[in-house]
Amino acid sequence: MSHSQESGGRRLDRRRFLTTAAVGGATIVGASALGGLDAEAAFAEPMPSLDAAIPAAFAEGRIVATNRNVLDVAGSHGERHLIQLTNATSIWKLRTTTAEAIEVGDGLYARGAAMPDGTIAADAVWVNIVNVYVTIRGIARDRLHLTHGNEELVGHIVPDTTTASYLGGALTADLSRTRIGQEAQVLGAWRPADGAIDIARVSLGH
Amino acid sequence: MACGSTSLWAGEATWFCCGNAWGSCGSAGTGACGTCQSGKNMAAWPNLSAACWDITRPDLCGENMPRRTCGAVMNVRHQCSGATVCVTLADCGPRTKSFCGEATCCNGACRTNRVIDLTPSAFTAIGSLSSGKLPVYIYE
Repeated sequence: MSHSQESGGRRLDRRRFLTTAAVGGATIVGASALGGLDAEAAFAEPMPSLDAAIPAAFAEGRIVATNRNVLDVAGSHGERHLIQLTNATSIWKLRTTTAEAIEVGDGLYARGAAMPDGTIAADAVWVNIVNVYVTIRGIARDRLHLTHGNEELVGHIVPDTTTASYLGGALTADLSRTRIGQEAQVLGAWRPADGAIDIARVSLGH
Repeated sequence: MACGSTSLWAGEATWFCCGNAWGSCGSAGTGACGTCQSGKNMAAWPNLSAACWDITRPDLCGENMPRRTCGAVMNVRHQCSGATVCVTLADCGPRTKSFCGEATCCNGACRTNRVIDLTPSAFTAIGSLSSGKLPVYIYE
């Protein structure tokens, strides 16, 4: 699909709308000129193809406070980011979700546009997302026991969410072909409370 | 060093984290080169060194990419959108041999085998983290 949509007779790309929304505040945000957005497609939209006059920005870190639609994020290397969410922001936390699912203590990666006041107007935010190379050490009905490097991990199987891909095949909800000792890539959402992962997708290798 | 436009390789790009202070990435450290950070446009290459090659073994999937060492730069371009990001090599990876034959497609064209791992900053410049994989062309 196209990520630009007609608005008031002129073409309005997603990033231009995003920055306009962030600058204009709640009134503009609340009256989304874009209407419904395809969240998965929006996540996949590459930022570099958009308006070069608006610098792209990226942030990584852990949320230390939230204030309305602004996330206060402490970066892993001492930096600080203020991330603005708008109606045009796509949010992932195990699945596509809304800002209400974001909590203090969560980790995130955010992509967006750098605003003149130093904040980042977020185009997409991935909350607690991890993508780790693991070895399967144990299999239970509702979880996989994993090792990642020298670290032991629990990967929770989430009903109606967790899928598997065997040797590059199509995604399936059937995890019955997982085997102890298999190497795998697990994409999921980290749980800050206990360090476990809710599995979105496990790709089984050779 | 600037990123160039000479074709080097093609395949799947995946993503990994490094230098983070949170999540299961917290134990990842700063990679084989000691410089890797998720918030910078960096990458892992399967032939960063002989020791790295022994771990990744892309040749077992028919991928005999040349050696490139810490600090080398590459342009990574999404096969379909054309979005491009310039990355600096900072780690060894991905584990190509574990996923031989895996393909990622767009617009009916597929790229096979994991040939480069991007940091979240680099990966999000050309696609979505939740997709996990992208079909890419690599230039230097």
